[in-house]
Amino acid sequence: MTSAPEEIGDQIVGILPRLRRFARSLSRNQHDADDLVQVVVERALRNRGQFRPGANVAAWMFGIMKNAWIDDRRGHTRRGEVPLPEDSGEHPAVSPDDANTSLWAVSEAMGKLPEEQRLAVALVLVEGLSYKEAAEVLEVPIGTLTSRLARGRAALAAELGDTP
Amino acid sequence: MNYDDETLMAYADGEVDEAKRAEISRALEQDPELARRVERHRALRAEVAGAFANVLSRPVPERLLEAAQRGPGASTGEAATRRGTVVPFPGRQSRPPATPWRLREWAAMAASLAIGAVISWKLFTPAPLESITARNGSLVASGPLASALDSQLASTQTGNEPVLIGLSFVTHDNRYCRSFALSAAATAGLACRVDGEWQIPVTAATTPGEGLRQATSPPAAVMELIQARIASDALDAAGEERARHSGWRLDAP
Repeated sequence: MTSAPEEIGDQIVGILPRLRRFARSLSRNQHDADDLVQVVVERALRNRGQFRPGANVAAWMFGIMKNAWIDDRRGHTRRGEVPLPEDSGEHPAVSPDDANTSLWAVSEAMGKLPEEQRLAVALVLVEGLSYKEAAEVLEVPIGTLTSRLARGRAALAAELGDTP
Repeated sequence: MNYDDETLMAYADGEVDEAKRAEISRALEQDPELARRVERHRALRAEVAGAFANVLSRPVPERLLEAAQRGPGASTGEAATRRGTVVPFPGRQSRPPATPWRLREWAAMAASLAIGAVISWKLFTPAPLESITARNGSLVASGPLASALDSQLASTQTGNEPVLIGLSFVTHDNRYCRSFALSAAATAGLACRVDGEWQIPVTAATTPGEGLRQATSPPAAVMELIQARIASDALDAAGEERARHSGWRLDAP
């Protein structure tokens, strides 16, 4: 299928809203999320030769985003940057778009999860992937995905004030 | 019978096999505490999914559209010269519309989706372009769609109009929005009055040839956004008439 690489650009445009949502669920605000999406789109286009024709473009790009997000976080840690204290009482990174309280509360709660649990929650609960699809994106066995998801959900429920 | 939390979670997510599902369903009828635990999994899932749902309908920033559309040029060696230039959007398409997505892709998206207007622009025939224009990262009604949104009343439609108006309502942030369908283009959407224009936060495919039904039962993606934005109830015929008379301004005398 020689046409596959040509179609990828169009398909990426089509899934940009989903990429932004997945990135938003991993980031503290939409601006950081869009920076992540931009890195992922550029990386996907550079590596389009690795895309298997007929495979699911969204799943492929979620995998690229997982790697880019982890790379980015490791980079921050190496440079000695520390995240804002959780109880600073100020959230300067929150944009007016986030003046949606449930988005704000859920996003803050997800920000407290360990990376691996946050990815599992984002793929299954936010993006609606099946356990099998999410396990493939994260390159882990399905049992590992399930236990990360269960722990992530229990922590979220506690954080959001629902008794687990 | 007791079940561990992972099993109940998988049941709530529809991730257990048929035999297990039937077994747990029976157990739930006997055991209200078990049923409550499953319900908590479902409620958390809905809360988390709902929190991020609106991200899908927000306008995609120009820089991301540009990044994605740099693709085709790059494969023919134009990357160096095109990098940094602004790819016009929407612009006339020189290539045929993108191949429709495979069914599986659609099914995956249908689960949660309010598809951004961008994809509609990419996938539908050129017809809606005369009615929808891109400006500063938003899609705005123009041409026949803008005229219909300005003046057409749902209460007097026959069902044969090229643009059909569905619900008109006031949003939480005090604006008018109207749902619409473009019959010939098999497209439905929502338009909201912002700064004297009709911005279009969402469009979706609809079944053509259903006449008024196209407008009165919008696709799920449009319906979700209506539910997210509507302050109380849809306008009745008199309310719609008053809104038109005010020029769709809530602060008008």
